[in-house]
Amino acid sequence: MFSAPGQARPVYERLLADLDAYQPQELRQRSEQLSRTFIDRGVTFAHSGEERPFPLDLVPRILGALEWDRLARGIAQRVRALEAFLADVYGAGRIFDEGLMPRAVITSSPHYCRPAFGISPPNEVRIAVAGIDLIRDEHGNFCVLEDNVRIPSGVSYVIENRRAMTQAFSSLFSDHRVHPVDSYPARLFAALLAAAPRKIAEPVIVVLSPGVHNAAYFEHVLLARMMGVELVEGRDLVCRNNHVYMRTTNGERAVHVIYRRVDDDWLDPLQFRPDSVIGVAGLINAARAGNVVITNGVGNGVADDKLVYTYVPEFIRFYLGEKPLLDNIETHRLEDDSTREAVLASLGDYVLKPVDGSGGKGIVIGPQASKNELKNLRKAITAAPRNFIAQRPVALSTHPTFVGDTLAPRHIDLRPFAVNDGNDVWVLPGGLTRVALGEGELIVNSSRGGGSKDTWVLNDEALSFRGTARAGGARPRRGGAGPRQNDEFVGAGDEQ
Amino acid sequence: MSERLGLSIRHHTGFTYDGAAKASFNEARMTPRSLGTQQVQASRISVRPTVPLWSYTDYFGTIVSVFDVQETHPQLEVEAVSQVESWAATLETPLDWGQLRSSRLVDRFSEFLLPTSRTTLGVVADLEPWRQLPDVHQCAEAVSEFVRASISYVPGATTVSATAEEAWAAGQGVCQDITHVAIGLLREMGVPARYVSGYLFPASAPDVGDAVQGQSHAWVEYYSGSWTGIDPTNGVRETERHIIVGHGRDYDDVAPLKGIYQGPASTQLGVVVEMRRTH
Amino acid sequence: MLSRLAESLFWIGRYIERADDTARIVDSYVHRMVEDPFNDETATCRSLYSILGIEVGAEQLNTLATLQTIVYDIDNPNSIAGALNGAYENARRSRDYISSEMWVALNTTRNELPKRETRARNFGPSTYLGFVRERAALLAGLTDATLSHDDGWRFLVLGRNIERIDMTARLLRGRVVSDDNAPDWMAFLRASGAMEAFMRNTREVDDANAVAAFLMLDRLFPRSVLYSLNLADECLVEIQPVSQRISSGDAARQALARARGMLEFINPAQLIDQLPELLEMLEATCFQITDAVTDRYFRHEEAVAWSIEEGL
Repeated sequence: MFSAPGQARPVYERLLADLDAYQPQELRQRSEQLSRTFIDRGVTFAHSGEERPFPLDLVPRILGALEWDRLARGIAQRVRALEAFLADVYGAGRIFDEGLMPRAVITSSPHYCRPAFGISPPNEVRIAVAGIDLIRDEHGNFCVLEDNVRIPSGVSYVIENRRAMTQAFSSLFSDHRVHPVDSYPARLFAALLAAAPRKIAEPVIVVLSPGVHNAAYFEHVLLARMMGVELVEGRDLVCRNNHVYMRTTNGERAVHVIYRRVDDDWLDPLQFRPDSVIGVAGLINAARAGNVVITNGVGNGVADDKLVYTYVPEFIRFYLGEKPLLDNIETHRLEDDSTREAVLASLGDYVLKPVDGSGGKGIVIGPQASKNELKNLRKAITAAPRNFIAQRPVALSTHPTFVGDTLAPRHIDLRPFAVNDGNDVWVLPGGLTRVALGEGELIVNSSRGGGSKDTWVLNDEALSFRGTARAGGARPRRGGAGPRQNDEFVGAGDEQ
Repeated sequence: MSERLGLSIRHHTGFTYDGAAKASFNEARMTPRSLGTQQVQASRISVRPTVPLWSYTDYFGTIVSVFDVQETHPQLEVEAVSQVESWAATLETPLDWGQLRSSRLVDRFSEFLLPTSRTTLGVVADLEPWRQLPDVHQCAEAVSEFVRASISYVPGATTVSATAEEAWAAGQGVCQDITHVAIGLLREMGVPARYVSGYLFPASAPDVGDAVQGQSHAWVEYYSGSWTGIDPTNGVRETERHIIVGHGRDYDDVAPLKGIYQGPASTQLGVVVEMRRTH
Repeated sequence: MLSRLAESLFWIGRYIERADDTARIVDSYVHRMVEDPFNDETATCRSLYSILGIEVGAEQLNTLATLQTIVYDIDNPNSIAGALNGAYENARRSRDYISSEMWVALNTTRNELPKRETRARNFGPSTYLGFVRERAALLAGLTDATLSHDDGWRFLVLGRNIERIDMTARLLRGRVVSDDNAPDWMAFLRASGAMEAFMRNTREVDDANAVAAFLMLDRLFPRSVLYSLNLADECLVEIQPVSQRISSGDAARQALARARGMLEFINPAQLIDQLPELLEMLEATCFQITDAVTDRYFRHEEAVAWSIEEGL
């Protein structure tokens, strides 16, 4: 990828020089060391029932300060628009009255949570933490892949990845000024505090987890520990007369803010699934009575809906009166007859996503699908067009990833994390870069065997070398074909 | 001026446990509210064992009373007492079919046009003749007649969790089932329809002062430009004897008393609805 | 602190101590089995089982199967591997509280066990047992050095001491119940790590009374029963909530007080004669304390299953 035409982006020049100093065996050893550290620390997730570390690739992804600034503003704008949207659909419903979105989109969504109607958070924040997934398209522009405002996870990997990298590759950090990521827990804590019911002098905050068997348990522990708050499970809490208490050795102690990592459906056996053993009976009414704040808000799932995703640029215009700073991927709604017919006519050219899927489940990539898959898909779409959206396949950008003994291009995406404290939406510098480890594979979720990369946002604009200047850019060690079109290292366009 | 019926209503329900329950969390939807055809003068809910009550108005506008019992108790009793004044609505000129099927209206009432698991019905009748009727009022009456004739009112034939499909297959049911079937048919024809839960003061109106056994009742409201009530169980339109407690997509949205508990098997206490004409 | 968390810490303390003490006991028996040519394998195994409170039938017993049950069986909470696994599982549930160093230590210990077991099959159980004791010592050190000495730490120490009392009583009982088949008093001293301390103190190695007295009554030696009883009581006193004491809270301290009373006023010269009753009393005391503490501090609901009710 580095023969002739490819010239690495300026942000990567120093990194290339630094990596060059390592022998392949050294790199492999360091890579294994990273794995072991993760196993020892229990930074694992459950993949097919087994606890495995989420593989960290040793080549970090780097974003320049200017580029990041643009991204962060775009993400913050998107979060603010989604907040306004949620407040509206669980309240006045102006967007329906203005005819900007059919009411049916919301009322037919399985995530539209009628018990959440009328619950107003004291500081009006429903999205304390958002994970806005981005990809870089073939023109080098970042666009939004999807919005995650229910229980976005992965920030623990961001923190652990950075910790592991600074230990295993400290020399790389001495040559770059990278924005730290360890202020995240403090920011989250401040946001949770700001969310507390008014009039409580010292709000008690807890992290509500489904327990050790949950794939993201490690993250619940990390956040609770780093914020200095209790990690509780449903059975540690009890509601009495619409107040929530936790069971302590000193008796019952009032709880005021619950950072919940339990899904809506399992949160309250009185309102939702009565067979839930990880929820707290009466919790929703306690929130409604204003005695406890649940965040992220109950019913946020309606904003996660992929059909609603297609309206987000409108939300930005309608609620904020602004032009969207980040674009969606070109997406088609299938309820409109002519659109649906056009898509069905060339189904093999599109990527079809179930409106309700998560973790990459149910996505059919037209160009790669079999005749049978397309046939079944056609049937499903005709039966329930509201359940699908169609997108043009986007060539995800690639990034050199350590595979075997060499660097090879693998597809990546980016999940930045945003924290909303009611006054400000702060975006963690960097975020989680997920990489698909299989060659040519597109879906990058951890549940499908992906890995991650440490993501750096540089702190300065000066990119001059500290060490000896090197001529040219060719590095013989890199395997794979010639320069790829959409490689992050090389890239189209001239931005940083 | 339509005649105003004054009623005092006492609705008593609850559960008894095969032993004792340790804890329970409940929501009661037993409180009527003031609407276009009724005025509530007073309303109170009490619970035994005595516990504090809190209330809110839910998504569909129904008043909900919330309470939890966390002491061991062999029985749970809930009683709602209300004083209501009620009168009949006048039948208004309906929207024409074209207006009813406008995309704006269809979108606005999408919730009441979609089938739910309770109201879904297979093909049970030819809908075309009804669709061809001049207006939606006549259509609703026809559906009401049809359902009344097809399903016999037989208490105990179905359970509280029965669906329209099940009731139809059995040919029997109570007002809840009859209402679900009617709603299923109306929605199928594109008529927005909702479930109404409330009370019915018997037609054989006794004198002022005498208490009679009333009924916890369910009927249908369909949209014709405004929400219009019709009672397929009794084959009448909504009258002043119908007292509304709440609306929903189906029974599940307005169950009078729903909750969860920890404990042995429970059986329902007999439901008592006592109504007395005050004026 | 969270009740569920307190209970997890209590059991971490108990399980690690159990693994440690069981390793010590098994080690002393294994030496005997290996060194003594006249050793009756079945009888020795049977006495080992009885010490650890594991029921066995009347059949012939052999060392290998016994070791499998008592040392390596991860599914049996009374075995060494099982106890370490129990500590690990509880640590997993209290990860937000224990230090990362403790967590890593427990995690790596548990991950190491299968490898150690394989090695033990070739080279004998002593390496495995030695590994367990080393890791237990490491964990004890980390407990004391990396956890704030607040209520959580106190519950852990309480659990550790209760288990220690229980295991020491069991170890001594083995000597009493099956005199010929149990290791001699020297071996017990070594198993408790008390050899040097005892020698500095008394030197009467053949005096059964002296050894039993040291292991049960010495006020300074940390593995003595009385020492552990006193330490357990200290923990309970410090855990004491500020609010009104309710009677069940005293049940634990009352049980402790009774046990201490009996031991403090015993004539060491008559210790051996009264040993059987004393040991039974101690084992019962451990049960009572655990029950009382669970009742008072750990009362939390298990994840509950709700039933639905609907009224008309």
